[in-house]
Amino acid sequence: TVGRPGSTLGPRPKPENSITIAVSSRVLFNMEKEQQIFEQQGMEEYIKYQVEHETEPFSPGPAFSFVKALEAVNTQLRDLYPESEELFDVVLITNNHAYVGLRLINTINHHQLFIERFCMTGGNSPIGYLKAYNTNLYLSSDPVKVHEALGEGIAAATMFTPDKMTEVSETQLRVAFDGDAVLFSDESEQIYKAHGLDKFFEHEKAHENKPLDHGPLKGFLEVLGKLQKKFYAKGQRMDCPIRTYLVTARSAASSGARALKTLRLWGLEIDEALFLAGAPKGPILEKIRPHIFFDDQMFHVEGAAEMGTVACHVPYGIAQRVPEKKGLKDKEVSSIK
Amino acid sequence: MVSTVQNSDVKQKNEDQAVVVAVTFAAVFDAEAEDDRDVYRLGVALPLLQVLQRVNERLLEENPVEHQLFDIILITTETRQQQQSSSIITSTRHHGLEVGRFCFSSEDDFIESLAQNNVQLFLTTDGNEALRATQQGVPSALLDKNSASCPSDQLRVVLCQDATIQPDADSSGASKKSAQSFLTRLGQIRQKFGMFNSPLCFTIVTSCGGKDSCCSALKSLRSLGVSVDEAYCLGGAPRGPILSILRPHFLLSDGFSQLEG
Repeated sequence: TVGRPGSTLGPRPKPENSITIAVSSRVLFNMEKEQQIFEQQGMEEYIKYQVEHETEPFSPGPAFSFVKALEAVNTQLRDLYPESEELFDVVLITNNHAYVGLRLINTINHHQLFIERFCMTGGNSPIGYLKAYNTNLYLSSDPVKVHEALGEGIAAATMFTPDKMTEVSETQLRVAFDGDAVLFSDESEQIYKAHGLDKFFEHEKAHENKPLDHGPLKGFLEVLGKLQKKFYAKGQRMDCPIRTYLVTARSAASSGARALKTLRLWGLEIDEALFLAGAPKGPILEKIRPHIFFDDQMFHVEGAAEMGTVACHVPYGIAQRVPEKKGLKDKEVSSIK
Repeated sequence: MVSTVQNSDVKQKNEDQAVVVAVTFAAVFDAEAEDDRDVYRLGVALPLLQVLQRVNERLLEENPVEHQLFDIILITTETRQQQQSSSIITSTRHHGLEVGRFCFSSEDDFIESLAQNNVQLFLTTDGNEALRATQQGVPSALLDKNSASCPSDQLRVVLCQDATIQPDADSSGASKKSAQSFLTRLGQIRQKFGMFNSPLCFTIVTSCGGKDSCCSALKSLRSLGVSVDEAYCLGGAPRGPILSILRPHFLLSDGFSQLEG
């Protein structure tokens, strides 16, 4: 099932104008069974299985609804700005050798995803490619690759599969961010780790007017904001197809102000800011239903996933070096090598 | 008049099974620079010569009586070079290059000698020479200064697929057949190694065509027995950046695009 009628969507955006989102095959699709075969029976059996099932599409993975939502935004952008190239461009990244990748192409066609770029690296690191082609965000199930990407200045996060996935909107893209060590640097997080939550609140109130330094996902929020402004310009502020959320342990009463002031200074807007003052994030995320949620602490990532949110770990900053206060270990997901 | 001389320093390959690669004098040597002893300095083709030798070594490790090896010929394409035959032989032996034979021809008859020597791939730094060879049905590729910085531990072959049909490329049956035959042989060599740590790596880069065009290419190659290791579908993005990451020893495009249709 390789052939399909030519796309009626018009010419492809040039990569320098588009917003490039790179997703690995194992987060876009559910490849658990194949991963098991690889781990238990080895490379040859894995390849044999893939080739034998080449025309059988994979079922959706945790990034699938996010990618569909990106496409929905593109459709609405094209309606309003038919000449513009400022659109999302999704690239599929896989470690697999190319002929195993045929099954991936068949799956893309089956699910009618508008992905025309892919990168099958045959076992090599994709990081060089990501850098060379101006990648705005990289999502993978492999924490090693994500770490490497962050080290090269690319916004990246390790995506986990929730046990159940809550239903999300098909027309409005919702992206939720933690604040410290995700949008902002980990400077305040360091205080929290060293001295606890109360001291953190005190410190932040005292430094309210000093902007925080930026974190790895600030750039991604920025590009979302640019697109939002394009909708506002056409009168779509109330029902904007993109909605952003800040979900932070900061408190509205004290430390929250510094976060909001920093965003304002950066010229960035966030649609909803939720200050939890240390409360768990799972329940609020279940209400918000974002397509994706970014946090630097595995405790929050797992808490969100438990309640059905597609949560991604940003392995950045002090939280990665200091043991979790709640004693939960990071999940390690091995990659196909 | 063409003369062919064997290099007695190098063990001769099996005529029927070897994959004959001809490299021009101007690619092997830096013709402008001679050192004191009238020995030519090495040119842009050095990493390629080293890597072809490496593939041969690995093939022989897998099978000590392997006959499907790369057989390298050094070919001259100008009368002036043709007349330097003894310097060329001396320089080659001085540098210990694994060149099996020398083909001393001129601009008028080098194409003929490619055919006579059953050359399956012609490598040159001269675009016109490549064009002429392709038109006569010999798959060709260009080497340039980038070739000089390629790795010498893995032969990286990149098949560049573009939507633009090149009007000057010959699409005769003979050309198509010889391109397919060359790829088939490379595919056979590739099969002798495992998925990883292979001394030969095939990559497809699809510049303008979409994923379906890349997909057809993967399938056509598979039917020729070529297992592709890496594939990059650029969706219209420029191919410069990916090529500088991949660092191919040579790009195949003319011969390859003839596989379609």
